[in-house]
Amino acid sequence: MPRHPFIALLLTLGITLNASAAEVVVSDVTSRAVPIHLAGFSGDAKTVLEFDLYVAGFDLVAPAQAQYTVNGKSGAALEGVLADVNNKATLFNRSYPGGSPRAQAHALADDVVQAITGRKGVSRTKLVFKVQKDRISEVYASDFDGANPVQLTADANIVAAPAWRPGRKSLVYTSYRAGNADIYSQDLTTGSRKALVRFSGSNISPAPSPDGSKLAMILSKAGSPDLWVSDAEGGNPRRLTTTAADESSPCWSPDGSTLCVVSRESGFPQLYTVAASGGAMRRLTTAGVRNTTEPDWSPDGKWIAFTRSRGDYFDICIVPAAGGDAKVITEGEDPSWAANSRTLVFARRTSKFGPRKLSLLDWPTGHVKDIAQVAGSSSQPSWSR
Amino acid sequence: MKPFSKLGSLALVLILSLAAGCKKGQKNYTPLPGYSGTPGASSGLGKGQPILPAARPLTPDGSGANGADVAGVNNPDGPGGQPSREEIEGMLADREQFKANTVYFDYDKSVVKAEGKANLQSVAAYLKAHSDNKVAIEGHCDERGTEEYNRSLGERRALSARDSLIGLGIGADRVVTRSFGEDKPAELGHDEAAWGKNRRGEFILLTPPPAGGLR
Repeated sequence: MPRHPFIALLLTLGITLNASAAEVVVSDVTSRAVPIHLAGFSGDAKTVLEFDLYVAGFDLVAPAQAQYTVNGKSGAALEGVLADVNNKATLFNRSYPGGSPRAQAHALADDVVQAITGRKGVSRTKLVFKVQKDRISEVYASDFDGANPVQLTADANIVAAPAWRPGRKSLVYTSYRAGNADIYSQDLTTGSRKALVRFSGSNISPAPSPDGSKLAMILSKAGSPDLWVSDAEGGNPRRLTTTAADESSPCWSPDGSTLCVVSRESGFPQLYTVAASGGAMRRLTTAGVRNTTEPDWSPDGKWIAFTRSRGDYFDICIVPAAGGDAKVITEGEDPSWAANSRTLVFARRTSKFGPRKLSLLDWPTGHVKDIAQVAGSSSQPSWSR
Repeated sequence: MKPFSKLGSLALVLILSLAAGCKKGQKNYTPLPGYSGTPGASSGLGKGQPILPAARPLTPDGSGANGADVAGVNNPDGPGGQPSREEIEGMLADREQFKANTVYFDYDKSVVKAEGKANLQSVAAYLKAHSDNKVAIEGHCDERGTEEYNRSLGERRALSARDSLIGLGIGADRVVTRSFGEDKPAELGHDEAAWGKNRRGEFILLTPPPAGGLR
């Protein structure tokens, strides 16, 4: 459902948009945003509520267009009254004592999302990501909107692909601090770090299984960058792909039964699935797009988000987990799902080949908003679930 | 007076709620973590969130108070395995010896370009003449791919150069590979002139440490 009539016409005529029309983003928007009006909020609370509700699929509108209103008061304890305009019904009237003004507003935003859509809000979750400055990169964590960033490594080296372990208390990532790409875990409550996988060759792209019991990764120790699965701490590594081509970026189905991974087996990058217990690689159909990398499986199991390369540009795409027609959502790369299987965090360039920044996407409405940025180039986000 | 008036208003809300038979419109309180009865006095971290630690770098040898580099399983599979990490990390790295022997790759390809064959032969000849030396090959990419894809592609490139050295008679246990993906460009430009120089494999000579501090 392209919004722009010209694009709709092009699509109707079967005209393909190529790299020369790279700035044109075809948005496969599937649902309308919910119109809501905010009144009475100020300062951080207002800013936070507007951000949180927009990326949750709401449009902030004038009272006359609103289907819902939130009347509130910013103060020591934030207060909010959610009303359905059409029914003239009050859905809740709550006060949020304690915490910071931002935390109070996130809590109210989550309650609004829950009350109107029945979905659990994601405003009080965390991101981890890579930040590169000059030729040095470090792992950072922040709130889901980029607020309260914390630098988690300080090796003045190169890091890559940070990923949450379930429980939000520990991470895995790649670091070159020992001169080689090795996989480490880091406990966020104690700050302790452990080298999990350090074979000769590359030890990269770590992906903890949804139950935390296993670790998928790419190892080259058998002579080619292949998909391997080990125990949670790196023990008992088992090789799952045996192609001569390079594999990359594994992710897990939410039930832990299947992995989705990129392989260049056919000469260009495509998505494949393989059973976690081993077996043949199966190509995942992504009709309409090619050069596909960086898959991430939605927590509800229904979708796989991924990146497609289009000349020198990248797009965030979504395909049913069983394969099928790929939807092109917006320009960007390396998507990671929130727990709601609806919002994604991804990286996009500030200019062609410029530094990357992180943004959130509510894909059913096509809403996109940049998060607060740390100085440098931010990429490879992972959303706590 | 203040705490009392808050208590009073809370009581009033409760009474009104009861009077209204808990119908919609009543005010609920959602205290955030750390709430102790004084609004605005807590950490602000949501429920179930980890307390994120400040950056705590390890010591350079990895033996810092935050946990050492342990595990260290290193068991290359079968024949053709690379030298162990312990062997490699005990050697001295010389980035100058093979500086003129860097090999290059076409866009999105992992086969060494034809003009690189002579460089591979030079590296192989040197290693044949210095049997106690080994080599590390570092694979790199241009910026036109996604990050982890490039990390794997860089490794595939390093392995491809390694296969060539093995084909030229160098023992598999003398060649170790690494990939930096697009993270360490040789040139910072955003055109083919720079990209062509960034799609490369660099050779780093590894020599045994001086015995007893002498050579």
